Amino acid sequence: MTERIVTLLKADPRVSDYRINTMSRISYELFFVHRDLETVRSTETTETRVTVFSAHNGKLGDATFQVYSSYTDETIRSKIEEALAKAELVDNEPYALPENETGHFASDSNMRELALPELGAAIADAVFAADCYENGSINALEVFVYRDTVRVLNSRGIDKSEVKYLAMAEAIPTWNTAEESVELYECHNFTELDREAIRAEIDSKMREVRDRSLAKKPEEPIACRVLLAAPELREVFESIAYNLTFAGQYQQSNAYQVGDAIQKDPTGDRLSLTVRGKMKGSISSAAFDEDGFTARDRQIIENGVAKACFGSVRFASYVGAEPTGALRCMEVATGTVSREELAREPYFRCASMSGVQVDVYNDYLGGEVRLGYYFDGMREIPLTGISISGKLSEALASMRLSERETVYKSYKGPDFAVFEGVEIV
Amino acid sequence: MPFSEFLEARRADCRALVAELSKQFAYVGILGSDIRSTRLGVDKNTSDIGEGGLTECGFVIKMHNGRAFFEYSLDDVVGDKSALAQRIVKSVRVAEALRSREIEVPVPHDEHLIQSFSRDCDFEEYSDEAVLETAKRVRDEILARDGRIVNAMVRVSPYTVSKLFVSQNRELDQFYSWVNAFCAAILADGEKMVMAHEEAYSNRMGEVLKTLPTRVSPLVEKAGKLATAKPITPGVYDVITDPSISGLIAHEAFGHGVEMDQFVKDRALAKQYVGKYVASPICNMHDGAAAAFSAASYFFDDDGVLAQDTEIIRNGVLVAGISDLVSATELGTAPTGNGRRESYKRKAYSRMTNTFFCPGKDKLEDMIASIKHGYMLFETNNGMEDPKNWQIQCTAEYGIEIVDGKLTDNYVSPVVMSGSVPELLQSISMVSDDFRVIGSGGCGKGYKEWVRVADGGPALKVKVKLA
Repeated sequence: MTERIVTLLKADPRVSDYRINTMSRISYELFFVHRDLETVRSTETTETRVTVFSAHNGKLGDATFQVYSSYTDETIRSKIEEALAKAELVDNEPYALPENETGHFASDSNMRELALPELGAAIADAVFAADCYENGSINALEVFVYRDTVRVLNSRGIDKSEVKYLAMAEAIPTWNTAEESVELYECHNFTELDREAIRAEIDSKMREVRDRSLAKKPEEPIACRVLLAAPELREVFESIAYNLTFAGQYQQSNAYQVGDAIQKDPTGDRLSLTVRGKMKGSISSAAFDEDGFTARDRQIIENGVAKACFGSVRFASYVGAEPTGALRCMEVATGTVSREELAREPYFRCASMSGVQVDVYNDYLGGEVRLGYYFDGMREIPLTGISISGKLSEALASMRLSERETVYKSYKGPDFAVFEGVEIV
Repeated sequence: MPFSEFLEARRADCRALVAELSKQFAYVGILGSDIRSTRLGVDKNTSDIGEGGLTECGFVIKMHNGRAFFEYSLDDVVGDKSALAQRIVKSVRVAEALRSREIEVPVPHDEHLIQSFSRDCDFEEYSDEAVLETAKRVRDEILARDGRIVNAMVRVSPYTVSKLFVSQNRELDQFYSWVNAFCAAILADGEKMVMAHEEAYSNRMGEVLKTLPTRVSPLVEKAGKLATAKPITPGVYDVITDPSISGLIAHEAFGHGVEMDQFVKDRALAKQYVGKYVASPICNMHDGAAAAFSAASYFFDDDGVLAQDTEIIRNGVLVAGISDLVSATELGTAPTGNGRRESYKRKAYSRMTNTFFCPGKDKLEDMIASIKHGYMLFETNNGMEDPKNWQIQCTAEYGIEIVDGKLTDNYVSPVVMSGSVPELLQSISMVSDDFRVIGSGGCGKGYKEWVRVADGGPALKVKVKLA
């Protein structure tokens, strides 16, 4: 199909450049109700997107269309015509597409060693291995296993492909008592099959859901340090990083400029953040972006100060900077707080949140905490029915980062951070 | 604009594949989906005409083997049906280790129905050039209104939906269209930067292009006000919700809680409350693709079940939930036409459509006048459900302080509302007599499976924790 499309694109002289992106996915999915297998799904699909570029009057326009397997040459020709007409209406500044690089990036994941049905079964078994508490259960489980093949090809000699194995287990640990039944949400993403790691992750959630059944609303107001874990830290740091993009710089929507102090008058650990393309263990890891540009890692924040922006070839060209590619992973340097040091003073640990709210524009950090632990200096007491709320700038200024590292989705960095000045309501 | 030629050409293939697979499966249904979406946008420096994120073309086959369900998604159903059926059976193979775990669920009812549905669409009357010209005019007007506005964005996203459903006894097809548009302004005032947006939506492009320019003044005024917004002092307040926030409450507080696939998994507390009071007696709530007209209004769902209007809460009492084919079959109830997929590549779940509180008898001005000190909240930012434990988190873009029964000029932003669902719903003390369903939202189940939804209602007076 790709070769047919290339021939048809080359035959039209009005096409100044082109790019073809394909994504082929084979998936195997299992859906359990309690421990019973309710639905088995499989997908075998290919998505082909063609972008045509039209240089006109010193400007550059582009338009994208999808090509389906049913398309005849005649249909593709007419789609190219339509896309050219659209591209000619678009008057953007010209920029150079990436050139002359080819490569195939194969996955070394151990998930390729099993057939997809057996891989799905192995993941389900690992999750249910943690379902061993008398009052606890996994009320629902969804297992997704993907084998993705991504290819980018353009008119300037780019032809790259990458095979990725990704998996996700979405489990609902539940705890039942005579009075009530409570649950937590767990979404575990991974790129390597590690049965023990899956079991341990689900087991930790089983213990948390048990604690949620014991958790009460605090009778007295609490004022102490607030601790956020990797899922919430990812949201916080991603919100900051996405305000240091070339696109935002060009469109004047970045909340931060290079040279700005992200942490004003810091009293804690200094933030250092690097955006990356490839990152071992991350489901967002990618060797190249959708332009086919090979990822170039870049440190964008050093010691609490914005050092650089990042982004695609197009917007890098517009602001006169060296492109990095559209990077989707980030690594935050670890800090100095050990578990022992943490335990010297009271803190409130947010174990499960509805979703942390980070508003860089309005300088806000907050959210509802479904399960938190108040450490009173002696022990952790499970609490619920609480919200946190504070100024992002004040939280960042006081931030202390843990010395231990973890990987969560697109984030690699401290497994927790401690903030001052965040209200517990 | 007609129903998809591609799907029409595959109608006979779908029938043949259903017949072939029916040799091995007790139930077989095929959904063909051809969605064409476009995104036309401009900002201060760039313009863009691209494919919208909804674009897709393919098929999903649902099967039942007398015990469990199986699904297979593919790009095309053309070719040798016997070979294709073998490929499908092989692809949904269950590993030996899991075979004993297959659930036992009855075979779904597949009542005879053959019907075509179509809604008028005016997209062909408006060229890309005309749409882009309107977008540019609106952008230029926003930029010209206030020197502090550093960028303005306008985006118009039309799409058409063609779906074909073929099972042993049913053959349905539908065609409809929708267009969502928004304009946004980024305003920099000293060190503070704010973003404000306004929306326009309809099934008719002509109406959207007429409405968009009328949103410029409210947008610019709002951006200016948001630049003055302060953080809210956390606490419990008397609150008036605008229709967007009322809809968000309906959606997060109870909509997700009555999705009946959660009943099957014992994941919804609402299952135990059918026939019981769950809200104030002046509270009434509905959901259904046929209950209002919006981006979430279709003729039949992704299981081939006709759209309905489901009464969820009547005078404070929980009446019913909403279901897809699988959960209804498991629970022994009739499906409510709420089986929806993010795309043909994803599973169908019980999902909301148009979810709203019904209007009451109070005047909005009386509701505001009844508050000594509180806030009126506006515009949905996001929300999160917790149907098992009935907790809620809803984030509004902004609030306006009410002092001595009057709206002031004091803006707060953002505002996160949280607490217990029953406490919130039972605190509803006034319901306005006006009503609006906001037709352009998106909703995930947990953190995935995004579908178009709409929600809304009247203004509500509630007591709730804000932070």
